[in-house]
Amino acid sequence: MALDISKFIQRFVDEAREHISRLELGLGGLGSDPLSERDGIDALFRSAHTIKGSARMLKLTSIAETAHHLEDVLGALRDGKIQPDPELAAVLMRAVDSICCLLDQLASAGAAALPAHPDQALCDSLARAARGEQVETAPASPPPDGDPSDASTEATPSPAAATAATAVTAPGIRSPDSVRVRMDKLDALVKLMGELSSNQARLRHQLGMARALDASATQLAACADEPTAELARTLHTFTQELRDLTLTQERLVGELSDRALGMRMLPLSLVFDPVTRVARELGRSLDKEIQTEVSGGEIELDRHIIDRFSDALVHLLRNAIDHGIEPAEQRSAAGKPRLGRVRLAARQEGGTVLVTLSDDGRGLDRDAIIQKALKMGLIDESTSLRLDDAQVADLLFQPGFSTSAIITELSGRGVGMDVVKRAITEDLQGSVTIASRPGIGTTLTLMLPLSLALMRVLLFESAGQCFGLGAPHIHELLRTRRAETIQVAGRPAVVRRNELVPLIPLAELLDLPSVIPSSTPQHHEGADATLLVIIIGVRQAKLGLVVDTLIDERDMVLKPLPAHLRTAGGLVGGMVVTGSNTLISLLHAPALLDAARRLRGESIAAAAQTVAHTQTTQHILVVDDSLNTREIEKEVLEASGYRVTLAEDGLDAWQKALGGRFDAILTDIEMPRLDGFSLTAKLRETERYRTTPIVILTSRQTQEDKQRGIQVGADAYIVKGDFDQSSLVQTLRNLLG
Amino acid sequence: MKILIVDDDPFVGEMAAAILACDGHDCRIVEGGVEALETLASETFELVISDMNMPLMSGLALFAELRERACAIPFILLTGDDPEPLRAEAPGLADCLMKDATLEDSLPKAVARL
Repeated sequence: MALDISKFIQRFVDEAREHISRLELGLGGLGSDPLSERDGIDALFRSAHTIKGSARMLKLTSIAETAHHLEDVLGALRDGKIQPDPELAAVLMRAVDSICCLLDQLASAGAAALPAHPDQALCDSLARAARGEQVETAPASPPPDGDPSDASTEATPSPAAATAATAVTAPGIRSPDSVRVRMDKLDALVKLMGELSSNQARLRHQLGMARALDASATQLAACADEPTAELARTLHTFTQELRDLTLTQERLVGELSDRALGMRMLPLSLVFDPVTRVARELGRSLDKEIQTEVSGGEIELDRHIIDRFSDALVHLLRNAIDHGIEPAEQRSAAGKPRLGRVRLAARQEGGTVLVTLSDDGRGLDRDAIIQKALKMGLIDESTSLRLDDAQVADLLFQPGFSTSAIITELSGRGVGMDVVKRAITEDLQGSVTIASRPGIGTTLTLMLPLSLALMRVLLFESAGQCFGLGAPHIHELLRTRRAETIQVAGRPAVVRRNELVPLIPLAELLDLPSVIPSSTPQHHEGADATLLVIIIGVRQAKLGLVVDTLIDERDMVLKPLPAHLRTAGGLVGGMVVTGSNTLISLLHAPALLDAARRLRGESIAAAAQTVAHTQTTQHILVVDDSLNTREIEKEVLEASGYRVTLAEDGLDAWQKALGGRFDAILTDIEMPRLDGFSLTAKLRETERYRTTPIVILTSRQTQEDKQRGIQVGADAYIVKGDFDQSSLVQTLRNLLG
Repeated sequence: MKILIVDDDPFVGEMAAAILACDGHDCRIVEGGVEALETLASETFELVISDMNMPLMSGLALFAELRERACAIPFILLTGDDPEPLRAEAPGLADCLMKDATLEDSLPKAVARL
């Protein structure tokens, strides 16, 4: 038999030590918490059992026997045959210490060094304890720490084993494997790390300069005297070495920075775990029964994010329980379980963490929100009719907004949703979105970066100025020909994967003074000119920014704006420092999206005004599973004076169509739950929609698809690529007569 | 021989696999009864060696479940306690062995007897 047992010994020692620390920890809390006792003891029992089993396989009799007795006592405890008391805890701890000593001997001197038999006195004590007999407080034989009386209990103590045992087990203090560090010291380290990274960028910049010098010197040397050529060669060698050094340094700095940041990361469970208790207490004070589910607590985030995020989370939780979850009687009346459910979940997505907080309460009250907004003068009557659900939800984040009829102590008077939004988007560079279904519940989604200290940044230029955008908000980069863009509501847009994304030149959005176009090709205005587009996204909303050139992509240290420069909803979220020591504004993606929406809104409102007077308002149902496409189609139609209702898939549309009366229906094909073909076919079967114009608008353009569209009864088929404002509106006008 | 080893303690499982590998057997280790059933459904083995004492599904329950599913694969049970009562309880077992240091000797012999 050629089995090499020795390689299993080391593994056994490692695994058994892990079980030992679990046992130490578990036995320390014995008797303190009777509720969780049973599960806890079962885990300890399994640890002892595993040590016993593995030790037997390796013929480590002394360890196996001690573990076996330990297991028996824990089994009796688990089954309630005996009760924990301090004497019992002491004898169990002695057993654990004894195994621990034997493991130390095994690790340092091998299996031969172990005594053949366990500490008999200890085993007897354990056996008595398992039978429920009184355990003596003073051990007959002291703990096996190399005391000679220990060896006397052994049947055949070999002298070599005895010496080895005494030698290794004498002082039993193991040095701790962690140290406590004050937060401010870590912060100083991370700050220094940031400076080092910035400095590294400058070093890289200098390398670029050195290379340029080297190149010119080499050119010069070609037609110069020998001393100059010699100098050029030296310069070349110098540049090469500088390059190698910079590259090595870069790698080291990167690694050091990762390590330094990692030290300040903490698991989300720090914030999540107390939530269950807070929710219960809140529920009790409001006379509501609340059940909380938490997942994703193991994800790690920068301590500073966790700190600032926890206040916002508690506030959102209060909102969910106070405003969201209905009183138990209302819930029963609505056919819901009396127990209100709140779910808190986190998951990692790229360099960001998504935290969702959902409740199964009443959902947002659209009318109440609009009424309040009207009263506060946030919107006017005409706008209120055009708002979609997402825009209504956004109103909640306006300063001072609260929809509860009575402002209670709990809803955190003075700290509204606007403060939450500011904390998440401005202090933490994240985003917050809200979605709700009446009667079913509300879900808040918070996007947070993993760390605030370093951020992946894309640098680019527009109208002669350099800007940055954080990677978490960048969806994709795109080069497209101007001829390939389409016009929607008077503005360009591109079609990406069955979705319309509006385009806007960044210079226009930021109101930058135009510069004389340089000679770069993308400045030509012709149809062949290429456009460089950065598509940014916050959750489902997307926007294409047209910029001039891309400059760089790096992990950079984000410097917050000084307090006097910070404004609510500001487009600049912070600054970064480049290699050449210049400051660059980091644009804030959610603010850009808001600004673009405002710009488009204004142009639509203006267009709608001119049409509105001449036409009776016809009501159109727009169905598309892409938020962007829905929004754009809505804008186009509203600009032409139509009233629009949105549906996010075929089933949603089917329900809305049956619940209302529409003059025309505009639908996509590929959608979850019910596709456009089936929707059309179903609608045609009803009396109400037998002759209503139905237009299919899709990126599928095969002849087969068109045929199928006509077969199921659509009146028109428009391909999104060909789609422009006039063809859609013209088609509708023709159909509506 | 292609053998499926079932043990919730990966240490013991790997040791059994190492013992059998010395005789040139091809072993696969799974950590529980349910996983064993799934593996047996998708792959063919010639022998199952399972631990007795496992959470959720004991080795004996796994054995009974396999016979219930009309799977006649030879089954060796390993136990930390006295194997005799188990042998009496399940006569269909190919063998029932004590899980200790003697396994290094008894396991290859039991497999060879098949």
